[in-house]
Amino acid sequence: MANAKNARHHIVIGSGVAGSQAAETLREREPDARVTILTLSSLLFYNRYDLPKVFRGHRDWREFLAFPAEYYKDYRIEVRRCSRVAGVDGSRRSITLEHKEEIRFDTLLVASGGRGYIPEELVEFRPLMHPFASYTEAVTAASVVPDRGHVIMLGGDMIGLDLARTLIDTRHRVTLVAGPQTFWPHEVTDDERPGLIAALENMGVEVVEGADAGGIASIEQGAKGLSARRVLFKDGTELYGDVVMPFFGLSPSVEFMLGSGTDIERGLLVNPALRTTGEGIYAAGDVCQIWSDAEKRYRFFYGWKNVRAMGDLAARNITGGDEPWVPAQDEQLHISDDGKIQSPFWEYE
Amino acid sequence: MATDIQISIVGSAGDGTIAAGEILRNALAGMGYKVISFDVYPPEIRGFGKCIARMRITTEQAYSLKHKSDVMVSLDDSHAIPHAGELRDCGALIYEQGSIVRLPEGGHMSAHVGPGQLPYPVPIRELSEKSTGANRSRNIVVLGFIAGLFNLPVEGFRKAIGKKFKSKAAAAEASEAAFKAGLDYAAKTFKLDDVVFGPPVSTVVAGATVEMINGNAAIVRGALDAGIDTFFGYPITPATSIMERLASEMPRRGGRLLQTEDEISAISAVIGAGFAGARAATSTSGPGLSLMAEMLGMGVIGEVPSVVFVSQRGGPSTGMPTKTEQSDLHMAVYGGHGDAPRIVIAPTNVDGCYRCGGKAFELAEVYQTPVIVLIDLYLSNRYETVVFPARPPFEADLNRKPGKAAAGAPYKRYALGGDDVSPRAIPGDKGGMHVVTGLEHNELGRPNDSAELHTAMSRKRHEKLKLALNHPDFTKFKRFGDEGPVDVGVISWGSNFGECLEAMLKARGEGIRCAAMKVVMLSPFPTDGVAAFMADCKEVLVPELNYQGQFANLLQAHVARPVTRLARVPGEPMKVEEILEEIRRLAGKKAAQKAA
Ligand SMILES: Cc1cc2nc3c(=O)[nH]c(=O)nc-3n(C[C@H](O)[C@H](O)[C@H](O)COP(=O)(O)OP(=O)(O)OC[C@H]3O[C@@H](n4cnc5c(N)ncnc54)[C@H](O)[C@@H]3O)c2cc1C
Repeated sequence: MANAKNARHHIVIGSGVAGSQAAETLREREPDARVTILTLSSLLFYNRYDLPKVFRGHRDWREFLAFPAEYYKDYRIEVRRCSRVAGVDGSRRSITLEHKEEIRFDTLLVASGGRGYIPEELVEFRPLMHPFASYTEAVTAASVVPDRGHVIMLGGDMIGLDLARTLIDTRHRVTLVAGPQTFWPHEVTDDERPGLIAALENMGVEVVEGADAGGIASIEQGAKGLSARRVLFKDGTELYGDVVMPFFGLSPSVEFMLGSGTDIERGLLVNPALRTTGEGIYAAGDVCQIWSDAEKRYRFFYGWKNVRAMGDLAARNITGGDEPWVPAQDEQLHISDDGKIQSPFWEYE
Repeated sequence: MATDIQISIVGSAGDGTIAAGEILRNALAGMGYKVISFDVYPPEIRGFGKCIARMRITTEQAYSLKHKSDVMVSLDDSHAIPHAGELRDCGALIYEQGSIVRLPEGGHMSAHVGPGQLPYPVPIRELSEKSTGANRSRNIVVLGFIAGLFNLPVEGFRKAIGKKFKSKAAAAEASEAAFKAGLDYAAKTFKLDDVVFGPPVSTVVAGATVEMINGNAAIVRGALDAGIDTFFGYPITPATSIMERLASEMPRRGGRLLQTEDEISAISAVIGAGFAGARAATSTSGPGLSLMAEMLGMGVIGEVPSVVFVSQRGGPSTGMPTKTEQSDLHMAVYGGHGDAPRIVIAPTNVDGCYRCGGKAFELAEVYQTPVIVLIDLYLSNRYETVVFPARPPFEADLNRKPGKAAAGAPYKRYALGGDDVSPRAIPGDKGGMHVVTGLEHNELGRPNDSAELHTAMSRKRHEKLKLALNHPDFTKFKRFGDEGPVDVGVISWGSNFGECLEAMLKARGEGIRCAAMKVVMLSPFPTDGVAAFMADCKEVLVPELNYQGQFANLLQAHVARPVTRLARVPGEPMKVEEILEEIRRLAGKKAAQKAA
């Protein structure tokens, strides 16, 4: 390794699509550098869009990994799992992990994504819901839903709807308690919505416009001994199901960046080159809001292809590039000729 | 489903690492698994140094520890981090989630979890403090977590914990709470590793008992079952616990034990007791055996039954008291002045320690000689589940008593002729008056250094020992693996044989024709059996834990043919992989020769 002594240490927070792509690009463009990924996950990087497969009986995490363990050895990418970043000091270029270890960096890429958003009035029912954002959550949910069981989806969003497609395909019953986030992150007008809801029903999803009917009053466990869960609406109506799964979009994971010297709105604010306002600190993926010259605002770009392209771009700009962000995928929701919903989110490689 | 799981717990002295290992192996053995375990700890008592409790849990009989563990627990990252690489891929690495002090980069286990391993950060300290008010029970929290994660029957753990703290009510109560805290935390943990305990398989015949026991304890059990009367000793690592256990057991059984001022006194007293007709023994390690050398010669020339248990450690001199080695073989077989043949037997596992521990008294009595039972630290401290038969397999009083002497003829304690084992009268036996001296003597025991007599007595002392090669119900050597001609034969002895056997079995699994032989009786050497085995082997490999290849030297003194030596002094058990690699190399060499 030439000049390894003076090699830079690039730290990437997050082992999702953005962080993993960035680490690979960093390694390719700067062979001597030290590349470290910090992640909350117990597992190496896997594609979350694959997770609905757990309802098709795929439960072994090894099937989900994007790369085998050897990849990280070959690419000399250190992945520190179960390592929560507690704080970032931009001026000292250091990161403190929750377990009190301090790590110095030369450049930092924040690719910490977002976590499932839960509306305030439902937070107290969190223990009674089964989220679906990680492999462990997916397997846990799948293991409590019986064959042909009944899944109650709260909210919707394109992640939930993708799962709904699989659930129906695997002969489960799906009831969607629709709301403003049903087609998140697509922006859907009031005119478009009825057609899209009809398309969902056409798919086999039973749709309850629950939020419109006054919202959810409570979620109960083992109600009346009939079902594992009862969702009670404010108008007195109720729904029984085996599992309640929340899908209300994502909120960016930025709390550890407070006090880091970077600007934050909802996500980390970055310029089109994905630089934050902190020296040597970049951001990519679901965590960042990118300045759009055309729209004159900071905005999120979601979707797997976008996120991957962001990781790649940030790494290229960290290693000497200076290119601007160009979206990598269409954002429009379509209804196909046979009446089915088609989202660019659902197009994987 | 067959179970073969190795668990390592790494911590510092004072963390309760060894205690956690003890509870865990007792719990698992109690559930019916076979367990082999070997702990590593520093010479200091508390507050310093690294401790490792390592155990292999199986349903089929295992012969050694594995090179890689399936589960590793860190109770102290500073000690455990260098060992993180010893966990296999897809194995579980359990460590303290947080830290109460700031850590430098790399100071936490999370920095060292390999990409193929599965991390389980657990708030061990917090769980201990919350459940017991103190952090002392971190080791028990970990046991609770292991029980929960691997879905092991909790009752087995409760019993083992209860046994450990049976006289300490407060500690027992705290342990119960800490165990539950770990168990509950495991219930909230998603299991990702592929370590699965299958149901235990019980192969125990009616009447037999199964116990989790180490080599020293097995020796003691053998000695007790063989009816040891007296013991004289001086403590020395790693043999001390033999004496300690006997000290608590013997008085209850009407025996006598005395701690002498040194090893010279100890062996002298043993020979004195043997002369007086008692089943007598001492225990020591290499440095003590050096001191005993002169008196062993006295035992040889006086033909006095006496037993010496020797547990080897790293040498020479004070050497490495807490490291294992097999470097006292020359000393055991040849040590001392003069032509002083003695019986030397070396068990290869804990069950063998029991058998040799008892048989030593039979051999000493029947062949009227000192017998050395040669083990080492690895075997002394290695725990295994041993099945003890309903009735001890040892004979009492095998003394060859003098018959009625012809009228007027004196009793000849050292009578020549016959099979060279003379009738032995015990002092006080009517008509059995005789002299025992360190000087060369005639048949009556009276000093005499004529050339003829010295030659005849030397021959007698050597020849009678050969009879031991046919001593009943005692394994002198044993062959394992392929029958008939093989490409590679592995010959080894003592604690190291388990690793050799495991390596040979793996090599067979790879399609290599091979076999292994353990040699238990090192003196007299079972030349015929070993030579026959070697004749079957195209290549002979001799792995052992000493620098000189002491067993290979012994072997070649009896069977003149080249062997490949694998002599290592790492201070710890040899790695199965290293032996396997050598087998592969030798088998490959053969294949290459054939091809040429
Ligand atoms: C179930 C599911 C299905 C999806 N399906 C699709 C799909 O079909 N198509 C599509 O286009 N998109 C899909 N998405 C969305 C897509 O996965 C996201 O847009 C994408 O994962 C975002 O990638 P990211 O790298 O920005 O962040 P993430 O993938 O969210 O990764 C964030 C990383 O940051 C780490 N992290 C967070 N906080 C910290 C911290 N404090 N310290 C250390 N590490 C931290 C996390 O552990 C994680 O590794 C799906 C998402 C989910 C949850």
